Amino acid sequence: MVDTNHFTRRHVCLCEWYLSPSTSPEMTPSNSAGDVKSADLDLVGRIRSGDETAFEALYRQHATRLYNLASRMLGTRGEADDLLQDIFLLAYRKIGSFRGESSLGTWLYRLAMNHCLDVLRNRQTRMGMQTDSLDEPDAAPVASPVPLVGAVSRIDLERAIETLPPACRAAFLLHDVEGFGHQEVGAMLGISDGTSKSQVHKARMRIRAYLAHGLKVKN
Amino acid sequence: MMNCEDLNEALVDLVDGRLDGAEQRSLERHLEGCANCRALVDDMRSIRAAAFMLDRREPQPETWSKLRAAIAQNPNSARSETRSRLPVWLAAAAALIVATGIGVWPLLNRAASPHDDAPAASASDSPPATVESVTAEFEAAEKHYQKAIDDLQTIANKDTGELDPQVAAVLQKNLTVIDQAISESRDALKAQPANQTAQSGLFDALRTKVALLQQTVELINEMRKGNQAEAGQRLQTLSQ
Repeated sequence: MVDTNHFTRRHVCLCEWYLSPSTSPEMTPSNSAGDVKSADLDLVGRIRSGDETAFEALYRQHATRLYNLASRMLGTRGEADDLLQDIFLLAYRKIGSFRGESSLGTWLYRLAMNHCLDVLRNRQTRMGMQTDSLDEPDAAPVASPVPLVGAVSRIDLERAIETLPPACRAAFLLHDVEGFGHQEVGAMLGISDGTSKSQVHKARMRIRAYLAHGLKVKN
Repeated sequence: MMNCEDLNEALVDLVDGRLDGAEQRSLERHLEGCANCRALVDDMRSIRAAAFMLDRREPQPETWSKLRAAIAQNPNSARSETRSRLPVWLAAAAALIVATGIGVWPLLNRAASPHDDAPAASASDSPPATVESVTAEFEAAEKHYQKAIDDLQTIANKDTGELDPQVAAVLQKNLTVIDQAISESRDALKAQPANQTAQSGLFDALRTKVALLQQTVELINEMRKGNQAEAGQRLQTLSQ
């Protein structure tokens, strides 16, 4: 059954994103790219001059979405607040490197995703696990599962996302959960549109395999 | 004739509604005769719909205030740069703050987590919290903060004579206000030891005091070095 509250919340979130001054040009049908760039540069200028309200505006605009990404990238919520704080501290300290070549939103998400991937890679290195590369094709093919029966439960999906390799988890979260297009996902992860597409496909295939296996076990 | 193996990218586009009319009709003709691809597309659509409907999680409200405090303490430079230019005694104070943060946050996250629907995988990593265990962890976290405050207070007390009397008076006034907040939070906790709002209030006050003392120590250090610009900036932060 469709929960309309969740839809409304996401819908409102996306509307706010579309209307925000520092979003990507591709996602602002009512604003020209020049307006967005100018608004972004203006906001960055105010942050650099020490205007705390400008940095708070940036935080309020992106914190919830980045928190959702960070908590699902890390797989635990306990670390997500610390991670969010680290991401914005990094952004504050590196804001001088923003040149307006991409939108401020894209710049911030790229910084955030790089940080999340670094944390995950460090964690996996400590545990002696191999990590996947963003540009390499999936070496291990996913076995064809039995088709899913019925709607996918949120709890099962959250668990399935936790099992994804970091790079395709990042692409899946940005594209399927947060609703960015492959062009934006590519810019945020430093990969091509095509690689974004294949990472999202790989993620969906892995999730399908996980869900099908889980359903078989339950039945 | 389409080969299923070659359709991956086209299937992604179909699920995402990005194929043009001709491409879509061609792919749909394949799906009519291929049960495997049809099931795959149905599943991909279900996964995509479920992904879009996942819960929106909210960061803790105090994350912004912690971030603001962190920036106020060190507004212009990266953490690594700060470490390298601190004298030994101030570096020790900074290390104390970091150690406090590392020591306290895991405890705080368990003691006062607002997230009651955390994924089962992470919940299973730690034993179930009881009122006794949460209270014990809370007390441990509070002691940790208090130790940091005592040590910083010792450093600050030793050198506050170097401050302008007006600045010292403002500092003392602020510390009195914070001490009052700490005292009130402790009283509230005595009445309700497991009350998360009271716990959160006490930690906020303790954190504020740690930040204020650290800023004081940094101000004194800049004054000693004769660095008027930096001292002015610290003074401005301290006065906010």
